[in-house]
Amino acid sequence: MNDGERRKQLLQLAAGAAFLAVAVVLVLIVVNASSSGDGGDTKLEGKAEVNRALKGIPQEGMTLGDPQAPVELVEFADLKCPYCKAFAEGVLPPIIENQVKNGRVKISYRVLTIIDDQSQPAGAAAYAAGNQGRGWNFVELFYRNQGNEATGYANDAFLEAIAKGADVPNLSHWNRERAELEPEVEASTAEAHKLGFTGTPSFAIKGPKTVGLEPIDTPSSSEALEGAIEEAG
Amino acid sequence: MSYPSEWTLRRAIAFLAALGVGVATYIAVEAAGGDAPACIAGSSGCATVAKSSYSHLAGVNIAVFGIVGYVLLLASAFFVSDLARFGGFLVALGGFGYSVFLTYVEIFKIEAICQWCVGSAILMTILFALSATRLVAYAGAQNVSKSGPLPNRA
Repeated sequence: MNDGERRKQLLQLAAGAAFLAVAVVLVLIVVNASSSGDGGDTKLEGKAEVNRALKGIPQEGMTLGDPQAPVELVEFADLKCPYCKAFAEGVLPPIIENQVKNGRVKISYRVLTIIDDQSQPAGAAAYAAGNQGRGWNFVELFYRNQGNEATGYANDAFLEAIAKGADVPNLSHWNRERAELEPEVEASTAEAHKLGFTGTPSFAIKGPKTVGLEPIDTPSSSEALEGAIEEAG
Repeated sequence: MSYPSEWTLRRAIAFLAALGVGVATYIAVEAAGGDAPACIAGSSGCATVAKSSYSHLAGVNIAVFGIVGYVLLLASAFFVSDLARFGGFLVALGGFGYSVFLTYVEIFKIEAICQWCVGSAILMTILFALSATRLVAYAGAQNVSKSGPLPNRA
């Protein structure tokens, strides 16, 4: 084959490759654009809503909000607890919107296991997501897809679906780490017991006007919680 | 149409590919340490993008694929052959196509911009243009001098 023929062949191949690349990119974009963002092949509720609520708020471990915020609200909760779900969906959103987003308050989520044997691995899975900056997305998405507490719905497949839906970046690392974090769940449960908490969700608060971490139990409403924040800071 | 000499194109490709290796290595090293690359002016875009599910492909950080791509482009600049020209073009085409997709994802899916990713996308776009020019201008050429005219092409 002479130079001219080889050149012609190479340019034809290049044109074909370029055409193929354009097609692949277009397909990728169309496939992504048509996905609803609800967890891909796993049907999850509320992913877009959770992403919207948490968008732009810093997350460090299981803490939501500016790390320098003067007031820290610590929530002790069980992912399988229906009242925690109701609280997360009804009471906390105004606090996040009005107090966390402006950098006045940060909220730390700690697990207090009370429901059943699945509470601990679920909590460890949330902690593992937190180590990749997606702890609150995991927790909020879990609540929005919470099943009947009497059933064993929170199995490995469910936890993996939540992690995937929460956009945990490295799922294989998350999967390896979550078993190792169960002692941390035991530790936070012990911490809650030490504060006198036996039910979930229970809250404690720390601010310029408190002496260390002060228990405030379960505020009945967003207004009550805002009052406690006011007193603490 | 007159083209820059292949020597000039190869030098430009080598320089930009080396920059790309630096950028991709920085992102990969930060990710391996559990951090996100630092965005200028305190923007949180880099952290948001680095922590999104799009930052990994088959469990591997995409910056690692970036390093491989830039190293291959760097290597292509060191050889004067049709294999180097065509191989470099294919790698740059793949990198450019994926950069287009990732930029779309940043804007419309993650809704955050990572300055390092944009920098890499710009580098890959220029590298694609240079590699395509090199292939179109010099495919089939046997020997090209540093600055001389193109050899005869049939």
